[in-house]
Amino acid sequence: MSQPILETKNLSKAFGGLIAVDKVDLTIDIGKITAIIGPNGAGKTSLFNLITGVYRPTSGEIVFDGKSLKYNPWYAKAVAPMLKQRMLKNKLQRHASAHKRAALGIARTFQHVHLFGNMTVLENIMTGQHTRSRSGFLGAAIRLPKMRREEDTIRLNAMKYLNMVGLGRQAEQNAMSLPLGQQKLLAIARALATEPKLILLDEPGAGLNALEKRELSDLMKRIRDMGITVVLVEHDMPLVMGIAEWIIVLDSGRKIAEGTAAQVQKDHKVIAAYLGEEDDGAEG
Amino acid sequence: MLGKLKNKLVPSNKHDPSVEKPTAQRHSPISITQLKIGKISIRWTYIAVAMLLTFFILAPFSWFLGKYNFVMISMGINTIVIVGLCLLMGYTGQVSLGQAAYFGIGAYFSGYLSKSYDVNPWLAMLIAAIATGAFAYIIGYPIFKLRGNYLAMATLAIGLIMVTFFKQWDVYTDHAEGLSGIPFLSIGGFAFNTPFRRYFLVWAFCLFILLISQNIVRSRTGRALRAIHGNEAAAESIGINVTQFKVKVFVLSAVYASLAGSLFAHHMPSIGPQPFDFLASVKLVVMAVIGGLASIWGAIFGAGTITILSEDLLVRLTQLAPVAYGLILVIVMIFMPQGVFVALKSSAKWLQVNWINLPAIMNRKRKEFPSQMKNRMIRLVPARLWRKSEP
Amino acid sequence: MSAEHFFQYLVTGLYQGSIYALVGLGFTMIYAVTQIINFAQGEFVMLGGMLSFTLINSAKLPMPLAIILSVIATAIIGGIMYLLAIRTAKKASIVSLIIVTIGVSIFIRGIASEIWGIEPVHTPAFSSGAPILFWGAHIQRQELWIIGTTVVATILLHLFLRYTMIGKALKACSVNPEAAGLVGINAKSMALIAFFIAAILGSIGGVVLAPVLPISYETGVGLALRGFIAASIGGFQSPIITVVGGVLLGIVESIAIGVSWGPFSSAYKDVIALLVLLAILLIRSGKLASEERAS
Repeated sequence: MSQPILETKNLSKAFGGLIAVDKVDLTIDIGKITAIIGPNGAGKTSLFNLITGVYRPTSGEIVFDGKSLKYNPWYAKAVAPMLKQRMLKNKLQRHASAHKRAALGIARTFQHVHLFGNMTVLENIMTGQHTRSRSGFLGAAIRLPKMRREEDTIRLNAMKYLNMVGLGRQAEQNAMSLPLGQQKLLAIARALATEPKLILLDEPGAGLNALEKRELSDLMKRIRDMGITVVLVEHDMPLVMGIAEWIIVLDSGRKIAEGTAAQVQKDHKVIAAYLGEEDDGAEG
Repeated sequence: MLGKLKNKLVPSNKHDPSVEKPTAQRHSPISITQLKIGKISIRWTYIAVAMLLTFFILAPFSWFLGKYNFVMISMGINTIVIVGLCLLMGYTGQVSLGQAAYFGIGAYFSGYLSKSYDVNPWLAMLIAAIATGAFAYIIGYPIFKLRGNYLAMATLAIGLIMVTFFKQWDVYTDHAEGLSGIPFLSIGGFAFNTPFRRYFLVWAFCLFILLISQNIVRSRTGRALRAIHGNEAAAESIGINVTQFKVKVFVLSAVYASLAGSLFAHHMPSIGPQPFDFLASVKLVVMAVIGGLASIWGAIFGAGTITILSEDLLVRLTQLAPVAYGLILVIVMIFMPQGVFVALKSSAKWLQVNWINLPAIMNRKRKEFPSQMKNRMIRLVPARLWRKSEP
Repeated sequence: MSAEHFFQYLVTGLYQGSIYALVGLGFTMIYAVTQIINFAQGEFVMLGGMLSFTLINSAKLPMPLAIILSVIATAIIGGIMYLLAIRTAKKASIVSLIIVTIGVSIFIRGIASEIWGIEPVHTPAFSSGAPILFWGAHIQRQELWIIGTTVVATILLHLFLRYTMIGKALKACSVNPEAAGLVGINAKSMALIAFFIAAILGSIGGVVLAPVLPISYETGVGLALRGFIAASIGGFQSPIITVVGGVLLGIVESIAIGVSWGPFSSAYKDVIALLVLLAILLIRSGKLASEERAS
């Protein structure tokens, strides 16, 4: 069993009195499609936000690809030998910021798509290549040949991802002019352009019709076959049960069950969470 | 007569049934992209650029527009600042209500270093640019953690603080009436001591700034800036260090302003704190808005219109200048938030497609206008507001 | 610094801070209901003072009538400003709206300088009489009027927001405009009312201030800045903290200048206020930011 690509240890996030994520221990296996499900308000999107660095954990740790996302910045390292108190050392620790995590290989899509409405479809994806390219203000200003070559590479890669999600013909359209289903595909293509190791999809199926959902399933399988680990949050049960190789169930911020699709469907706690305390057992 | 013109200028594939053109375009005598005379077709843009270049090169001569040299130099100087402001406000979606402060820092450093401390003007300009950039970098990180209103107020506050410092520095160095006698910039023995020479100096700088800004916009960096404007959360999620980029583009705009300020100092007979106060910052925002916030070349248009207006207005109605600016700001921001220049461009496009329907449209609008206006007025004032507030 | 001086500065700070508080309340009202920062807030104060001057001196109206008319007129101007400039802007971005209000404030200032000229104007005090001597400080009677008016206005505003239907509707709008709309509250009407209230508060400030501090077309700018600071202290939400903040700012400013210690000469008066503003902005942003974001 190879090393898991993502682990969370005792991860918690509290907003004042409201505990959104409650001491969650997760393991995401590399190269598989994992689904996170749970009733509304279970903390699924908060979990995504913690993993991608949008929220700072109240406690706990996230380990990605074997390395913790907590680190000691320069001033903590300088002061550390002088500090005996563990608590103070912990206070000075910082968490990798969101954009650094993208560089490390964590990509995500958003529930509300969040495209760049002021750019074309292709430009959105080209922007996704930001972390895999290097030229900055100076290179751009004087148009170094290195920069021009990099631009061509970016454009080629972007076209590749565009074709992969099937939006090749809409390359020059404004991103917001696409229908919702295609906007979601564009968002996935943009996330893929960051060349991630792990991709987090937040409700990719919401608002899609049956045909689009099938295409989405195929796309996710293709992404997994590329070697990228897929984690999705979804409410559509047939979609989830059909594609997920491992399912984790959250409720009220806690992990209440995990397993294969068959296992999770029979789990009492899961049924209780979704349907209330019905002791009727075999439900779907 | 129009018929003969049509025959000459209609595109050659008009008889090709497989080419479907919108109704108006099939008979349009003017194509939006190309001018065709007989067999030669040249893109409009090339013609326009050639004409503009010739105009700009011939303008400062006394037999042409030479007597407006001062105005045109001001235009050029303002354009440099506006380009920076457009990058910051239009492309990255931020706000700066104190840009004139960095203009002033550049001017004051250049002026005092070269006059009171005998520093070479070019070196003074470089020092000014570095100092302004460093200052912008230091205040940038804390300030650009703010958004919207708060960011606006913070930039405004910095601008106002700098004005006080400028005034106090003048008093401290016994130049309460302003600093005068600043040496001109010169290359070798050739001094830029006439408006004619300074015109070319300023516009050379301006062209350089325009070109490198255009390059920045059309690059990975430009996309990153636009991404920040488009959606900050998404930009962060694909690896763009949003705060760092905001600070970098802010520093760039401050450096542009500083260079412009230096040119200003080596051009004006004397400098005081007044050209760098809040009204100046507002003027700059007006210019940027009119030129189109997201348009680099529109900056020339914006700087041009307002500079010419203010030179004119300044002469005739000093008191009413604020009234005019205020009105322009309000009207432009409400009806043309993407900028006058860009609005003009899209109107031109609309006209090109719809020109054939124009008489009918005008007729319809004329008939509908009174009732439309009446509806708008009625809807503005809430009829039963006291009743609405009871649940 | 002797005790008398200290008390003098305290009183000066109190009445100046009261004006800042009134302006701050205006900012808070408009921001709470519409999310807009009204850069023209200071102009309401200026208009209140200028109009009362004209009505008293040129129209020779009795003072109470002149005051009431000035306040009403300014309120109407505030309403017109909202209808013409803000309402028509519909879904403009925050930046656009900021620039619009700046435009309106410049416009009003320009018109004011046209109508009333550049020289500051002065109105007669409300009650005649010698300054009151209190703990070694000379307190102008008008200054007491200013402080008193502010207290009364704050109390009335608080009662209005707490206990009247419209007040509660305004609060509902500020918390959640959509939900307010769902229970039948017209957000646009509420915005208009917010502008009215802000204009009334500002003009009251102008009317009581004019006898003490001659008002010119430029007066609104400095007041707007300090009112904004007061409102920031209150987080643009709490009227009470805004008032407290405004008064404190006035006192701090007055003492700092009175002491004239180091850089605190009157030339740097603005700088002090601005630095306070920056400090508040940064502290607040720090608090908001560290809650969510990593690192």
